Amino acid sequence: MIRTRCLVTLALLCSGGGTAVSQKAPPRPHRSGLWGEFGAGPGYVRVACSGCDDVVGANGTTSLFRIGGVISDKVLIGFEAFTLLNKSFGFGPGDSSAVAETGTAAIVILWYPGRRGLFFKGGVGAAFGQFSVPTDSAGVMVADTSHGGGIGLTFGLGWDFPISRKFALTANAAAFVTALGDVVIPGRTVDDVIATIYQASIGLTIR
Amino acid sequence: MPAPALALLAVLQFDTVPKPRPVLAVAEAALINVFVNRVDAWAFQQDWARSGTRAWMKNLRLGWEWDEDAFPTNMFAHPYHGGLYFNAGRSNGLNYFESVPIAFFGSWTWEYLGETYRPSLNDWFMTSFGGITLGEMFHRVGATIRNNRATGFNRTIREIGALPIDPIGGFNRILRGQWKGLGPNPPEHDPGAYVLRLGGGIRFAKRLNADSGFWSMGTFLFDLLYGDQVGQEYKAPFDVFNVRLLITSQGINALRASGRLYGANLNSPTGRNRHMLAINQRYDFIKNPAQSVGGQSVEIGINSRWPIGSKGFAIRTAIFGDGIILGAIDAPGTGLGERNYDFGPGVGARWEAGLDRHGVRFLRIFSQIEYIHAVSGASADHTVNFGGIEAAVPITGRLGLSASSTIFGRVSHYTDGRTRDARDYPEARLLLVWTKAGFGEAPPR
Repeated sequence: MIRTRCLVTLALLCSGGGTAVSQKAPPRPHRSGLWGEFGAGPGYVRVACSGCDDVVGANGTTSLFRIGGVISDKVLIGFEAFTLLNKSFGFGPGDSSAVAETGTAAIVILWYPGRRGLFFKGGVGAAFGQFSVPTDSAGVMVADTSHGGGIGLTFGLGWDFPISRKFALTANAAAFVTALGDVVIPGRTVDDVIATIYQASIGLTIR
Repeated sequence: MPAPALALLAVLQFDTVPKPRPVLAVAEAALINVFVNRVDAWAFQQDWARSGTRAWMKNLRLGWEWDEDAFPTNMFAHPYHGGLYFNAGRSNGLNYFESVPIAFFGSWTWEYLGETYRPSLNDWFMTSFGGITLGEMFHRVGATIRNNRATGFNRTIREIGALPIDPIGGFNRILRGQWKGLGPNPPEHDPGAYVLRLGGGIRFAKRLNADSGFWSMGTFLFDLLYGDQVGQEYKAPFDVFNVRLLITSQGINALRASGRLYGANLNSPTGRNRHMLAINQRYDFIKNPAQSVGGQSVEIGINSRWPIGSKGFAIRTAIFGDGIILGAIDAPGTGLGERNYDFGPGVGARWEAGLDRHGVRFLRIFSQIEYIHAVSGASADHTVNFGGIEAAVPITGRLGLSASSTIFGRVSHYTDGRTRDARDYPEARLLLVWTKAGFGEAPPR
């Protein structure tokens, strides 16, 4: 009797175990549930404007923050805030008097095409730009600040490298196209500013 | 990837069983650009189409700018062009979301590689977002017109009729021998519920020409409700959409479309009153001598249906808030160079209430307000109001008489000290309409 019970129990365990194994979803290699990410890295901004003969480019430091959820096994949705800061920006050759800060606040979609950590990103949202000129060309304090606001698009790709069950290191490369409108700086109005930002970053993801 | 390898992959994909063909979709989007570019360069002798590596390098170095094209070019022709890219994806087995990157890819490559001009940011927005909205709509309308079970003359007429709406889909069907082959229809062929209304008549408008009083002109109406906004469970993007086209002797007066991206029941699907949350993707193009406004937007809100009695009558209501991804509007002093309108993002809201029977509307009142903050053109903020009332009375069979009155207003504020500018534009229409509907229950005549 005891032997029979043992066999039945073993069979149930085996069948239950087998079912558990066969129904177990393949491990999700990336984020699940509520996830968040913070990252930083170098960036390059290229500013174009209406009536400008050329474009202006400058390097800067970037940071980003993302938080979101999961739509399906391969698709995530999130909110992303991104900024670039350059403390020696200028709208003309030889000009480095401005502090430029540009960024976007966007709804983004992350798509993981495979079972590894590679993902592609696309998103659209609001864009802002702030240009402060603490001193004029003669070194006199003016502290003039101009704001621009508009629309931004972002595209990019990245890779999650899991470092534990809850954390991953994430590498990102992305472009941000932001339309900021007119920017008024001392002595000049820069019309219809478009700032295109290229960014590479390393971040920490809680997943 | 080298072009020969791309071409080989594209050819190999032709012979596979029906399944998503992403490589072929990308190749077709690229081919659309090559075809349009070469037609412009060789047939129309356009210098701007003679792009090459020098122009490509310049464009990659300088990047985006705003262009000065005419309103219909930017706000209608480009979205239609974007629909071709999008439908390169849809007609190769990709779903809505998988086709979205194809629209962005096709537009981006055209802007950077297809013209000697610098890439235009407004074109990229309008072609991509507008192309997605129009493309998905065209894909579904094309699938409804075509019938894989039809034969002979009926079949040929249907295939030809769908061609201007979905040319890329038609092209792929020719290549695959589907113009004559019999088989099952795709799910998009049957929208379930629908209301199609065609009309012709007279349009009266004030301030149409230099504020010179009322003018009248002939007008044509195409109105399609595809699916049921309230009674139909969400299955896929654009499983429910509506589109309205108004044409006058001056050209396209209005093309407005809205497709459901997502929907969810807010109460029991078996309840008498129904309320559904919807997220819609919207395309708007309104052009007349007094006003030009349009754009790409996303809206979120609630559609409701409140039945009255037991004979199929109901009150329908809708209330939505929206974000304009990129809009365009004309006003005095706006624009850039030869362009006479501004571009900018914005927000807005709309509501409507109507009386219908089995989905066919007899009375509708509506109002909408939109705010656009210019980021190209004048340094200005524009507010647009649009509202009106429409009534349709059956005469006999499917024929009826439709009367509508709308008023369109705009107020612009400029940051450079120029005076505040306001304008309104009342108009009325009297149309003979033909309505065909299928709403599950006994379809009205």
